[in-house]
Amino acid sequence: MRLRINLSPDWVLDTEMREYPTAMPVDFCIVGTGAGGAVLAQRLARYGFSVVCLEAGTWMDSEDDMVSDESGARPLYWNDLRITGGGEPLLLGANNSGKTVGGGTVHYAAFCPRLHPSDFRVRTLDGVADDWPIQYEDLEPYYEQMEREYPVAGPALFPWGKPHSYPFAPLQSGTAGHVLIRGCLELGIPVVPGGPIAITSGTFGKRPHCIFRGFCLQGCKVGSKHSTLVSHIPDAIEHGVEVRAGCMACEIPIDRDGRVTGVRYYRTLDDGRYQEEMQRARFVVVAGYAIETPRLLLNSRSARFPNGLANSNGLVGKRLMAQAGQVVWGRFDRMIRQYKAPPACAETEEFYETDPRNDFVRGYSIQTVSPLPIAMAHLITEESPRFGWELRHLMEEYNHYAAIGVLGELLPDERNYVGLADERDQYGIPVAYVHFNLFENDRRLIRAAVQKAREILEAAGARETHYVDRYAHLVGTCRMGDDPQTSVVDQHCRSWEVPNLFICDGSVMVTQGSANPALTISAIAARTADFIREASLRHEL
Amino acid sequence: MTEHSSAPAPAVEQKAPPRPHRPVVAYPGFDVMAQQDHWDPATRELIRRRVHDVPPIRFFTPAEIRTLTAVVDRVLPQDDRPLEQRIPIAPWIDHRCNERIIEGWRLEDLPPDEEAWRLGLQGIDESAHHLFGRAFVALTEDEQDAVLRAVSEGSPPGPTWRRLPARRFWIYIALRQITSIYYAHPTAWNEIGFGGPAYPRGYFALNHGNPEPWEAREERLDETPH
Repeated sequence: MRLRINLSPDWVLDTEMREYPTAMPVDFCIVGTGAGGAVLAQRLARYGFSVVCLEAGTWMDSEDDMVSDESGARPLYWNDLRITGGGEPLLLGANNSGKTVGGGTVHYAAFCPRLHPSDFRVRTLDGVADDWPIQYEDLEPYYEQMEREYPVAGPALFPWGKPHSYPFAPLQSGTAGHVLIRGCLELGIPVVPGGPIAITSGTFGKRPHCIFRGFCLQGCKVGSKHSTLVSHIPDAIEHGVEVRAGCMACEIPIDRDGRVTGVRYYRTLDDGRYQEEMQRARFVVVAGYAIETPRLLLNSRSARFPNGLANSNGLVGKRLMAQAGQVVWGRFDRMIRQYKAPPACAETEEFYETDPRNDFVRGYSIQTVSPLPIAMAHLITEESPRFGWELRHLMEEYNHYAAIGVLGELLPDERNYVGLADERDQYGIPVAYVHFNLFENDRRLIRAAVQKAREILEAAGARETHYVDRYAHLVGTCRMGDDPQTSVVDQHCRSWEVPNLFICDGSVMVTQGSANPALTISAIAARTADFIREASLRHEL
Repeated sequence: MTEHSSAPAPAVEQKAPPRPHRPVVAYPGFDVMAQQDHWDPATRELIRRRVHDVPPIRFFTPAEIRTLTAVVDRVLPQDDRPLEQRIPIAPWIDHRCNERIIEGWRLEDLPPDEEAWRLGLQGIDESAHHLFGRAFVALTEDEQDAVLRAVSEGSPPGPTWRRLPARRFWIYIALRQITSIYYAHPTAWNEIGFGGPAYPRGYFALNHGNPEPWEAREERLDETPH
């Protein structure tokens, strides 16, 4: 089919996209086109495999569909029903997942730090959670690839984790970024301005550089901010991938041998009705992120897998992790105008590692947040349910606020999970129930992190500080491991139970450190693609 | 209280002078809509429709709409503006309920949004009767505020609130939706000095909280330190 999609002011993806018949098995059917699915699809296509990606959302044209407006960005988000509960119910939707070609990357802030080497060995080092089945060195070459392909701007020498450099110069910060930098410097805390952020500080291919418009979370009309829509999907299509948009996966059937045969899905027709179809495939990859991935597996029941596909050990959906994302804001006498420049401006990872002086293990980062007006109003009313002229007066001070955020590591626990609710969505598919609680180490870590963020704002001159609990970046519901009893997939993201099923998104992460997960998800996908190619060449796939 | 007392000192109540029922900050002459020739067509059309195409009431009953309008007027009062300049809020809540528009999640102890709104308005009226013996719309502004404070504090009187957790309804549905609608409107952007849509022009003045040449400087209208 002919595609004609604006990806930036000067770049129309105007090309013929290959189409595959549903009844003939393709090599790979991938569910999802976010940080995991799109990178995997692009690499598998380059390695010569036939690939169909099913994407529940639609193509978003940067000129016609994306807008410079906070509430107008709604079509980018996953707005379908999910039920959220537990002691600390996670706010989903805009905050945590996308429903468009490119997935959540289309509206993420594009902070792209790596995990630290210690993240892969937290059981050994700190006696909590689990070690990963791989080490930092296994992902390092793929981090380097992704930092060039996204690409990522940042300092010439990034001092934390394993020190490394970034291929693009740091991005210019706005005044809100200067607040975090100044507060850290006043306190002697190392801080990096302008990265690591996947926003081009120079022209990159057909993508112009940033215009500092500040609407990163609303989809980048400039095409400067990374999303897989502009980084990997055009190349994937050029190499023969079909991205089938508007197709919501509902079940992965199996044959008598217990191998998956493809993906059943609902295609949205032009008149708005849904049509059920099935794409046959030799291999299926689920890359729907930490809620939709377990939901699809749990909804794929059979005599062989009565509790959901690849779920004999009951771990699909378990150990849901979020990161502590407490937003801390200060009111300054001086003007800030935090709506200018990308919300991702600057960060410190100085408190990332376990410090024996703390009453908790692991740590946190602190990053810029810079909410637009509606998000700011939500923070203010969640802190305390104020209304009336008090609320209007507080919002009149919008240009005097600078909001920064904690990004803290919360530990995996089986009591945090994704299951199925009684309700069904518009397609008739049972929706996800998301259950989340904090535990003692989490609470202590959050307390310390919020305190540190307040100190930084005060050192930068804040007259008063406030904070609200937030959680972001959902991972961990189909973790990888060395043992089929305690994990869902192996180190190459292959299901232990179903040999032609892979899971390739944030679900497989064992822990998530205090780094935003997109880059790690893409690095894992690139590594998985290399495994698939090598295994295929050895006829061992 | 002596300085030797071990009891914690009571917080000294700093009585701030009462804030007036009008803005204390202004950006004189700032009209974000005057910049619309610099916006891209998709954004311009979206904002134009938001300002001019206010949806008709389809979901709530006339009685419910009267209560909802009274509630919204207390949450974000606009008594400083002539009627025709006020930001419409209740019609957009009605629209959300009618079209079943949600944001991708529902708290496990809340019913669907449109049901929560119906129950919430019913509960607010019940609380008004319990506290003041009259319907919410018949109360004085101070009495209405007292009812809404009881809702926001989580234990308002009335049987409906046994079926609807008051504080969660208030924060995650009522305040969230009302503020989402108000601060999506260019009139609110003028009020808080938000530059608004910025493509393809972008922003240039990134340092020291400076305004762009087309933005206005802030003016403080009150004497209180900010």
